Amino acid sequence: MPFKLFDIDKEIPERKKHIYVKDEHNCEIDCNKSTIPGCMTERGCALAGGRGVITGAVKDAIGLVHSPVGCQYYTTGVKRYPSQPQLPNGEIFPIDNFNLKYSFGTDLKEANIVFGGMKKLKEAIIEANKECPFASAIYVNSTCTTGLIGDDVDAICKEMTEKIDKDVVAFNTPGFSGVSQSKGHHITNDAVFDRLVGTKEPPNTTQYDICLIGEYNIDGDLWVIEKYLTEMGLNILSRFSGDASHDELCWMQRSKLNLVRCQRSATYIADLIEEKYGIPYKKVDFFSCEYCSDNLRMLGRHFSLEEESEAVIEKYYGKVKEELEWYKEQLTGKKVYIFSGGPKSWHLSIPLEKELGLDIIAVASQFEHSDGYDKMKARVKEGTTILDDPNSLELEEMILESKPDLILAGIKEKYLSYKYGVPAIQIHSYENGPYIGYEGFLNLAKDIYNNINAPVWKLMEFKTE
Amino acid sequence: MSNFKENNMGGDSLHGKCHDKKFAVINPTRMCQPMGAVQAMMGLKNAMPLIHGSQGCATYMRFQLIRHYREPIEVASTSLSEKTVIYGGELNLLKALKNISEKQNPEIIGVMSTCLTETIGDDVNGMIKKFKDVNIGKNLPAMVSIPTPSYAGSHVEGYDKAVLSLIKHFARKMIPNNKINIILGNLSPSNLAEIKNIMKDLNVEPILLTDASENLDAPLTEETLELHKFGTSLEELRDTANSNATISVTKHNDSGAKYLEKVFGVKSISGSMPIGIKNTDAFIKSISDAMNVSIPKKIIRDRGRLSDVLVDAHAYNYRRKVAIFGDVDMVIAMARFTHEMGMIVEVLCVGTESPRFKKDLNELIDDMNHKPIVLENKDLHDFGMVLESNPVDLIIGNAYGAQIANRFNIPLFRVGFPIFDRIGAQRISFIGYNGGIKFVDAITNTIIDFYYDEEGYKFADKKLSFDTQSFETHI
Ligand code: SF4
Ligand code: SF4
Repeated sequence: MPFKLFDIDKEIPERKKHIYVKDEHNCEIDCNKSTIPGCMTERGCALAGGRGVITGAVKDAIGLVHSPVGCQYYTTGVKRYPSQPQLPNGEIFPIDNFNLKYSFGTDLKEANIVFGGMKKLKEAIIEANKECPFASAIYVNSTCTTGLIGDDVDAICKEMTEKIDKDVVAFNTPGFSGVSQSKGHHITNDAVFDRLVGTKEPPNTTQYDICLIGEYNIDGDLWVIEKYLTEMGLNILSRFSGDASHDELCWMQRSKLNLVRCQRSATYIADLIEEKYGIPYKKVDFFSCEYCSDNLRMLGRHFSLEEESEAVIEKYYGKVKEELEWYKEQLTGKKVYIFSGGPKSWHLSIPLEKELGLDIIAVASQFEHSDGYDKMKARVKEGTTILDDPNSLELEEMILESKPDLILAGIKEKYLSYKYGVPAIQIHSYENGPYIGYEGFLNLAKDIYNNINAPVWKLMEFKTE
Repeated sequence: MSNFKENNMGGDSLHGKCHDKKFAVINPTRMCQPMGAVQAMMGLKNAMPLIHGSQGCATYMRFQLIRHYREPIEVASTSLSEKTVIYGGELNLLKALKNISEKQNPEIIGVMSTCLTETIGDDVNGMIKKFKDVNIGKNLPAMVSIPTPSYAGSHVEGYDKAVLSLIKHFARKMIPNNKINIILGNLSPSNLAEIKNIMKDLNVEPILLTDASENLDAPLTEETLELHKFGTSLEELRDTANSNATISVTKHNDSGAKYLEKVFGVKSISGSMPIGIKNTDAFIKSISDAMNVSIPKKIIRDRGRLSDVLVDAHAYNYRRKVAIFGDVDMVIAMARFTHEMGMIVEVLCVGTESPRFKKDLNELIDDMNHKPIVLENKDLHDFGMVLESNPVDLIIGNAYGAQIANRFNIPLFRVGFPIFDRIGAQRISFIGYNGGIKFVDAITNTIIDFYYDEEGYKFADKKLSFDTQSFETHI
């Protein structure tokens, strides 16, 4: 019985094929399908995947959501992807963390729904540009309502690009398209490629130019990797899209090698660039010391910078090695669930076991596809539960069945887990990040150790003696 | 230090002069209707909110609620997708109702619509009826349709509509219960608890619409969670028709009260939010009138303690200029309170527009003998622009005000929703005399932290009007 039907799911047998307890049969998990209505899914919508994950990280573009006020409101200040005001041409963007601080929207009202929102969108683009003449571009996201009423956002953006002499880019991300935020990633990759890549030339190029694709700088992750790569002699020509400037996206075609960090949300654009411009890409992983070292070495070999890469590894690994060993001693044998949004489950499963001694007993993802589940299956031991699009009721049942020592998850699962007395930390955004690279892995270890050993867990019972 | 770097690119800019912008909203101050309805649902016992639309809306709202309250919160969605959008959301809604009934089996399911399903024109009531028809004989939850298209109104209307829909659905005339209905609006659990304390002191039994005081500030018990075990029950909702009166402490949430008055003759009283002395006095008085109870000494003592702290704090607070943004009824009541504290109400900003707000504002202006700058139907960008030319010492508002406060290097005192960047949003208190005491303590200490030195003295001006040294040698 490799598939598992939770008690709570007995009325919806469809859930059974989404939950697999790894055995020797290597069964195919149902995934990337519509969520069953009424399940307490953790999934978001295409707008969340597009604007929330990718375009919202760009530091100098206006993000304009074409919708009634809610969709705009809820995508404001949600992700923590800080940015620096330096632009590639050396100028300083006048507002730092502009991408975190400002959100624009068309605030559609009933009349706009009845008569269409195109006119208002046009005016809003002009106004936004007037308010922020220094912004490099305007990214317009359509949503459920504007998708449904059929506003031709593409046409308007095209027209406006000419009118205001600045890239106005349409991202057609109504929340109903696709089954999760994953579709929003895909739409956004395609739009950036179609509309932007190849439209500009970088001020200068070197033979060490790379694009770091699929890294969104959550809590400064990108800056950690960027530091390693720059120190070993590589030049980051473009980021997609953490701390990226609009222009960088337009000259991704000039890279010598593309690195794909988050492979769920950004392999699409790497494929497209390879196909059209013949630029190869490599899937990379910098979570944990081992993966980080492996990948830096691989890049060292690729660019004949072996010594340089070794120097970087030595420098940064050296700083954390001893401390990490101590954490491993303390954490060995602790049982853990990893509930990631996308691929972090398979990024982290082996490192957490090998490098921190943890025992992974369940992994889950909100929106991975079958290739991701193959990796997940390959990277956990038999008996581990693998879940697709899990919901809070299932998580509750799991906790009651086999209480773990720790859950790595998003904010929605975190507080649930706490109520059961189970330590939990956030890995979608982080507690005290960054979590990537050597120092990031140490931060993660620290957060894990301290969460498990918080004094409060021993004070749960009211003891009279 | 200011976060706004000098704009070196010329032209009008974000921190340049104020454009009269009409089409774009920049950093909105209001949320959409279903959010308000979900907030109201959070105060029901054994109930489940279900949002009929694409799942993004539900997930986003859940996320905001969770990061504000730091509690696990469930909001179900009918998860519409491309196909269902074309053919209508009926199958999804039926399936969701079935799933929730079977899995969680709540007593009440509140079905909120979204912009999407309103635009498609889904007939939620009809679908609920269909669901009942095919499940005849089964013990089903009560299912209430709450129409919440967001392109009209805001979360404030959403809360109002939820309460109205619940009352319409459940209220039944039985025997008089000698209770009072209180419609609350989205208040923190601590504020709700204070309303309950006041009622206890007055010896009046209330029916709270709705009571999230326990549900959203739950202890860590290692118990199974399931549905909310506290809050307003179905029986209480039914009993609202038999109360002596309904008080709406947020005037914009009084549709349910009006309905009860019209249909069941339950008197409707809309007052100001009981924040500060005058408003709390009015609140207590209207309850004592409606319920014919006398005001106990305890309440008078609490009032005296609030006056006491106002006097104690006054030296720190007087003439401090304050800017307040948020939900209409909170903003207007908070403005009055800060005026009672001796502050100068300089700027008020709300995301909506309403005649009632205007009326309240005029009253306030008369009482204060001072006219603040008022932004109605405006966003936080407009608010920041106004502060540019009208500097204040303090901002009162939710977490989204932090970057503005930061820009002007002034403190933000956090009230309202959402507050995701500080701990304890559940415990923010300003309602009643006791909440007022906590509020004055907290806000005054914020001012002292910011404008006074470590010993609590005002930062000495660098350029003193006399020469300290010579002064010292003279004594
Ligand atoms: S579609 Fe409407 S209901 Fe949904 S988040 Fe947007 S504004 Fe709110
Ligand atoms: S309306 Fe659509 S796009 Fe907007 S939040 Fe809801 S699901 Fe996402």
